Amino acid sequence: MAKQYKLENAVLASPTTFFLLVILGFPVILSLVYGFSETSFETLRSPEFSGLNNFHKVTTDDTFWQAVWFSFRFGSITAILECALGLALAVYLAPLTQKNGWIVAVLIIPMIVAPAMMGLMYRLVLNEFAGPIPYYLYNWLGWSPAFLSPQNVFTTVVLAETFQWTPFTFLLFLTAYRSIPQEMREAATVDGTRPWRLFWKLELPLMMPTVFIAAFIRFIDGFRVFDNIYTLVGAGPGGSTTSMSIYIYETFLRRGEIGKSMAAAILLFAAAFILLSFAQRLMRRTFR
Amino acid sequence: MAEIRIENLNKSFGGVQVLHDVSLTISEREFCVFVGPSGCGKSTLLRLIAGLEDVSSGRIFIGGKDVTNLEPYDRQLAMVFQSYALYPHMNVRENIAFALRTAKIPEVQITKKIAEATRILQLDDYLDRKPSALSGGQRQRVAIGRAIVREPIAFLFDEPLSNLDAALRAETRVEIAALHRSLNATTIYVTHDQTEAMTLADRIVVLKDGKIMQTGSPPELYDNPENVFVAQFLGSPKMNILDAELTGTGIRVLGQNEVVFSHGFSPLPIQLGIRPEVISLVSPDKGLFSGQVTLNEFHGGSRTVIAAIGAGTSVTLQLPTGQSPAVGEHIGLHCDPDNFHIFHANGERLQPIGRNH
Amino acid sequence: MKRRMGPRWFVFIVAACVMNFPVIATFSTAFKSPREVNRNPSLWIEAPTLENFVTVLTVSDRLNVYHYLWNSLTASLIGAILPMIVAFPLAWPMVRRGYGRSILFPAIVNLRALPLIVFAIPVYMMYATVGLLDTRLGLGLILAVVNLPLTLMLLVNAIADLPQELEEAGRMDGARTGRLLYRIVLPLCRPALITTFVFGFITAWNEFLFGLILTTSDAVPMTVGASFFFATSGGGVQWGVAAAVMSVAALPPLLLGVVMYRRITGSMVAGAVKG
Repeated sequence: MAKQYKLENAVLASPTTFFLLVILGFPVILSLVYGFSETSFETLRSPEFSGLNNFHKVTTDDTFWQAVWFSFRFGSITAILECALGLALAVYLAPLTQKNGWIVAVLIIPMIVAPAMMGLMYRLVLNEFAGPIPYYLYNWLGWSPAFLSPQNVFTTVVLAETFQWTPFTFLLFLTAYRSIPQEMREAATVDGTRPWRLFWKLELPLMMPTVFIAAFIRFIDGFRVFDNIYTLVGAGPGGSTTSMSIYIYETFLRRGEIGKSMAAAILLFAAAFILLSFAQRLMRRTFR
Repeated sequence: MAEIRIENLNKSFGGVQVLHDVSLTISEREFCVFVGPSGCGKSTLLRLIAGLEDVSSGRIFIGGKDVTNLEPYDRQLAMVFQSYALYPHMNVRENIAFALRTAKIPEVQITKKIAEATRILQLDDYLDRKPSALSGGQRQRVAIGRAIVREPIAFLFDEPLSNLDAALRAETRVEIAALHRSLNATTIYVTHDQTEAMTLADRIVVLKDGKIMQTGSPPELYDNPENVFVAQFLGSPKMNILDAELTGTGIRVLGQNEVVFSHGFSPLPIQLGIRPEVISLVSPDKGLFSGQVTLNEFHGGSRTVIAAIGAGTSVTLQLPTGQSPAVGEHIGLHCDPDNFHIFHANGERLQPIGRNH
Repeated sequence: MKRRMGPRWFVFIVAACVMNFPVIATFSTAFKSPREVNRNPSLWIEAPTLENFVTVLTVSDRLNVYHYLWNSLTASLIGAILPMIVAFPLAWPMVRRGYGRSILFPAIVNLRALPLIVFAIPVYMMYATVGLLDTRLGLGLILAVVNLPLTLMLLVNAIADLPQELEEAGRMDGARTGRLLYRIVLPLCRPALITTFVFGFITAWNEFLFGLILTTSDAVPMTVGASFFFATSGGGVQWGVAAAVMSVAALPPLLLGVVMYRRITGSMVAGAVKG
């Protein structure tokens, strides 16, 4: 029965496959070629094969490993913060949202603004002359930290990312929380369960799948961050906020080292792919 | 165990009033059934007692203590929900133990209590399974087990049999009755099914539109319904209610001959109630009424026959299977006037009326 | 059961203000005159003025905001609509016949997790070769790729929610696949199509990296154009004007998003959880 549909399925899938092959296929081949060759912007059409030379350059570059470490730290910390905050907000504000749906709209605004714009907005907000935050801090505390100094810049970008994306986890958790059957809560309450135990022992375990998914998604997004860090601080003082994506960008555009950036991109792709497959296998095993 | 007393309870949701001035006392160890059609307020009343909703006005006393403003977890009641509401991520043993652990009861005692409950409910084989691996009937027993181990002041059941298929329903009903006998616990049971009410209850509370229509034991309500609603709600097939009038000498049903009957009243329009099972089949010229058969249903152990008696009215009879009048046949209907239930035109029972019981 | 609402409202207000602080501050700064901006960094506007918006909205040598807006609009439209056109016929056999369940579907969905920079540079090279650099079409095409995974997921969910009886009735009435899809399935998916479009449009509009790399002057989108105002040019950053530009840049997705928030929140959850 399924055999006769084979041609039809292929036809239906053809626009997508054609589209992907053209837009992505060619670039994939290109990146492989350039990753393994010596090229410059002048010699684009005639790369010289150079084997693993580029990969060697990348893996011996301290900045590369710094960027990997940065992305890893950034991704995990923001994921944890966003999940914790989002979970707390979702559970605490859920009763409000039942009668006042509009508060959800207000809380998701940060998510709708472009991350690049958000980065620029934080630049304004933290600016020592025109920004409200230093102003208010000086007035209330008589002191304001240097937000973009090498010591503080990591915290600053972490907070900026967290505040922008907590609405995402908030939304996920709110939906999961509201989909818990009310009768189960009522049964527990009649049985003598007080609110904190109800949350810790009943509601949270039921929400764990969502927590893992949210943490996973936010980690990936944090790992590959570019827009808001780049517009806020660029590569950062002393390259301290160079994420993986920024590293590749700078290597390509600023330093014109095409082969090296391609090699780094291939490594990044491989790492992301492995992480992804691993996580998917893990999730499948835990939840089936 | 304790008595539960409700005083002048009113409940509104938004602008809609669901319970009107309900007052009721449920005695210690009594099996009390709240019964009524959908929307009559029976579940709401149960939830108010449980504390899952706040009262609009009125008070609730459990064991003499005013619990009106207490949260559910402070009232020491146990509730079995229609959908069982088991914790999906815990196995049966953990489900039953959960409330006990909340109360910080020592593990040794918890194990003992669980063993006792599983013995009574025959859950021994399922202790390590999760709810998703159980059948409906098994889940139901776990829900009951969860309630039993807490040794609450009273048990609340919210339509526990609705989600079971017919065969299982009858079986579980028997089990619940047996359970009540052995535990001897104050129980409030909500259902829309009059059979469950009649078979399980020590006392039935019939509700309609947020008001109590009548309370009493099943025989009391069945034999002496105080209004047409209760009369027709209990008993299957439903009691026949015929428009009639009291004349100087007896009762006349529209379209029929007058039935001679002594009563102490001046002429009055009434509603006459006769239960289908007390009407017997006789030849058309004998009997109190005559009519023409319009339906003959075989029910295995009995027959339901409906006869049109004129003026657009029909009467339902319950006959032994041997008597089977054909559709269209003219028949006579007879019953002892002692079995008449007489109500005012507004539905309230006429008092007093000369009857044996 | 009683719940105290007062403290929850307080937490809501704090959370809303903290997370939305940059947006609030930007809008506030946009309405301050250039003189006031440096003098008064607080949120309170002493003398509200539309000066900055006038500057932004008038065409000049330095700035033509309409150019950027137009670029963003066309590229985003392509980036939102193209994936829908392409993914819809694919979504249907995926749902109804399990086509591509083992390879194609996971492959497309996992694209979502890959860092965009990995595509950006090779695509740059490719565009350089075929002359698509700095074109709205070029930008739109890559935005379409970015939106493809989520579009596919949303359409798959939408079709899975349709009762199969309707398609069976259509088949009994003689409709072949093409007609079935076009006349029955597609119209029934309308709510989901709207949601998918809104989501795709917002994502495309908000894209920055590809705009940065793939365009230089002709096809620069609004997000990148706004960032030009933060490059200090002699007299330092003109915060008032910059804030006004950002307000204009952020407005379309904000309006779309807040108005459609109910739809978005539904799809966002479905897309994220099922992925």
